[in-house]
Amino acid sequence: MPAVRLRPILMAVLGVVLGAVLGALVACDRNAPSSGDEASRPPPGEAGVLNLYTARHYDADRALYDGFQRATGVRVRTLDGAPDLLIERMKAEGAQSPADVVLMADAGALWRAQQADLLQPVRSAVLDRRIPATLRDPEGRWFGFARRARVLVYDRASAPAPDADADAAAYADLADPRYRGQVCVRSSDNIYNLSTLAALIERWGPERAERWARGVVVNMARPPQGGDLDQIKAVAAGACKVALVNSYYWIRLARSAEAADRAAAARTVMVFPEQAQGAPGTLVNISGGGVARHAPNRANAVAFLEYLASDAAQAILAEANNEFPAAEGANAPEALRGYADFRADPLPVAVYGRRQAEAQAMFDRAGWR
Amino acid sequence: MTAIEVRAPAAPLAMPPAWTPRAPSLLQAGAIAAALLAIAPLVAVVVLALRPAEATISAGLLARYAADTAALAAAVGVGSAALGAGAAWLVVMHRFPGRSVFEWALALPLAAPAYALAYAYADLFDVAGPIQTALRGAGLDASFLQVRSLPGAALILTTALYPYVYLTARAAFLNQSVCALEAARTLGCTAGEAFRRVALPLARPAIAAGAALAVMETLADYGAVAHLGVGTLTTGVVRAFASYGSVEAAARLSLALLGAAALLLWVERLGRAGEVYATSSARWRALARVPLSRPAGWAATAFCAGLLVAALLLPAAWLAYKALSASPDLPRLVRAAAASLGLAGAACVITTALALVIAFGSRARLGGWALPARLASLGYAAPGVVIAVGLLGPATLIWRAEGALGGAPALGVVVALGLLLYAYTARLTAAALEPLDAGLARVTPSMERAARMLGESEAGTLRRIHAPLARGALWTAALLVFVDVLKELPATLILRPFDFDTLAILAANYAADERLGQAAWPALMLVALAIGPMVVLSRRIGRSRPGAP
Repeated sequence: MPAVRLRPILMAVLGVVLGAVLGALVACDRNAPSSGDEASRPPPGEAGVLNLYTARHYDADRALYDGFQRATGVRVRTLDGAPDLLIERMKAEGAQSPADVVLMADAGALWRAQQADLLQPVRSAVLDRRIPATLRDPEGRWFGFARRARVLVYDRASAPAPDADADAAAYADLADPRYRGQVCVRSSDNIYNLSTLAALIERWGPERAERWARGVVVNMARPPQGGDLDQIKAVAAGACKVALVNSYYWIRLARSAEAADRAAAARTVMVFPEQAQGAPGTLVNISGGGVARHAPNRANAVAFLEYLASDAAQAILAEANNEFPAAEGANAPEALRGYADFRADPLPVAVYGRRQAEAQAMFDRAGWR
Repeated sequence: MTAIEVRAPAAPLAMPPAWTPRAPSLLQAGAIAAALLAIAPLVAVVVLALRPAEATISAGLLARYAADTAALAAAVGVGSAALGAGAAWLVVMHRFPGRSVFEWALALPLAAPAYALAYAYADLFDVAGPIQTALRGAGLDASFLQVRSLPGAALILTTALYPYVYLTARAAFLNQSVCALEAARTLGCTAGEAFRRVALPLARPAIAAGAALAVMETLADYGAVAHLGVGTLTTGVVRAFASYGSVEAAARLSLALLGAAALLLWVERLGRAGEVYATSSARWRALARVPLSRPAGWAATAFCAGLLVAALLLPAAWLAYKALSASPDLPRLVRAAAASLGLAGAACVITTALALVIAFGSRARLGGWALPARLASLGYAAPGVVIAVGLLGPATLIWRAEGALGGAPALGVVVALGLLLYAYTARLTAAALEPLDAGLARVTPSMERAARMLGESEAGTLRRIHAPLARGALWTAALLVFVDVLKELPATLILRPFDFDTLAILAANYAADERLGQAAWPALMLVALAIGPMVVLSRRIGRSRPGAP
């Protein structure tokens, strides 16, 4: 049988298929505003879209965007990515950046965006009223919309009694000699740990904070590995007695549909540290966002932020990731009410970003990988 | 009889000049242009590194990163070379149960990204995972099973990356001359000695090329290594970028990485320098496969099956098990799959064409010309993050120009996709180049000179001599690029347009949120999509031996 020259045929077919796929991707671009699609023409200068750069990628956030679209008719286009990649991209795009709103999952990341001059100040009576001053930038460049607490997770036998004041849990316990070889923490390059140390530097001063970091390194049961969920599972499996994690991870396990997850949560106890009399309160961090500096749809951006502070959106935001609402007077969702009753440290979250480079250097010196 | 007069020459014979300068041909110019295009992002990185930076990583930490990276690279290089070359030899030269399936199946683990293997194994061997729990239940202390460590990472990366060596070694063994082996046997070598002393050295360029590819992938890997908690230069780069917010510090660390890659390439070429691997025979006979005895045959089957299970079946099965407990967002998955396929196909065609230009252009000059290939190969070792950051420079110009033109949304999508394709090409030209180079090495200088002497032009020689003989290598190159782009992560994260996700991005985002069940869905879809093309092309290479039925 004569050899059929397959290669040119295959290449031609491949080329046609690719052309079709790319053409389809461009032509069926959902982002292209379709004329006559909406009942009323948007005013000139506002295209009826909102361009959202978000570092949150929870599926349930779609409900937020749909809610906003139903309320205002504005279509939300999203680009998600890690905070630093978003920041670098916005810096590269410069004044042509199409970003309207930037959402991030840590105050440190928002501070970096602010330092890079990527956010613009917003004066909104609604936001000023709804969001507490400690959870937003004093100049109005970013606002917190959901809170998460940095908590300690113990195994059942080691947990301090809930009402004991003298023995109450504190962050300093992690460096205490009685927990030698019993502490599980994640790597120091994670932003949650960076923000925690930044807050502790602010609270205690650099010397005491560095002693704490070195003490934790001595107490580590194993080299830092995995994420917050892995630390909780390690405590549940008996590899260590105490771990430092974000509250929503433990709550996620406790509410999980998987029996194995619920069992792990049942073997552990989540304790909010620094609740004793005279202690400052548990450290909280925020999920939040702000209006981008060169936002082409500024009015829509401010409207979106105000929508995020509304009761309905606060409920969705909190439920999506088991966080606590940030707005004054907004109630935590049903399932979270049991955990929401704690005293939060009034330290302004803006501090977390300012001290972050210092915190990273301190971690490196202490040997916390 | 005519008298033959011999007269003294009227003037002394002038010797021709030793070397006549020639203007570079179009192909050679194209080769240099393609190579420069491939390294433009690296130039940007160098420029970034020269800018002042406020915060930098301490020297001690840098030394530790460098040592860990070197150890990891060495372990993966040796391990993947041993596994890949051994498997290729077994499968090509012997007969044992299941051989015909293993021949193409052993390349399939390329379809699974290294980070997917890392997620699966970290979960399997975790303190709370099934294996350690079972061992603890049986009363054994399982704490030595630390997958999240340097040895663990080396094992996982070796398992994930051996197919690179397997593919190139298999192509080399398939295309070897039977005569050299038979000559060795008649001179008294046993089969094993013939392999060690004749076949292995002849295939060494290919094995070295595959191992170099595996090590460059290791140097550039971030997802797997970070998940396993190993501090390498690459994680240091991202740490400098992310924690210190200093792109300049990140760029400086990447220079160290690039230096390592350059050293690697130099060592590899040094090993090949001065050796001529041309065989004189132009006749091709069918390879005679040696049937293995019963126990040896089953051992070979067990070895190949073990490789396949460890590198693909076990991680995929565990991810599938985790996926059962998660409910996926199907429309989003399907859209991401379409995006992944489209990008991979387009990048495959463009990058292979570019690599062909470089490879041919390098050979167009008699004696070979290494510069374009070496330039292009540097791009491969830089972490994807660094390439993407380096690309933000040209991207900025394009975005601003597009904005000035009053960018319509559709234009924005096209521009972003074009930038993405450029990023893929810059990174992956080297991946396409290594197998092409090794394949083209089969064309002997005497063949080239014969063609030129018979009046064929440069381009014609390439078309009629090199191209058909390198067909297997061409398919290998196209295959590697297609699958690599399907799995690509960092550049896609940075440069993609709005509402545009690929499967790799979905998997990484979910895994970053520690939702392994959700991450398993796009990861498995990725593997499923990549396996089809891998099977087709893997079988195609197997038939590329000239004269094969």
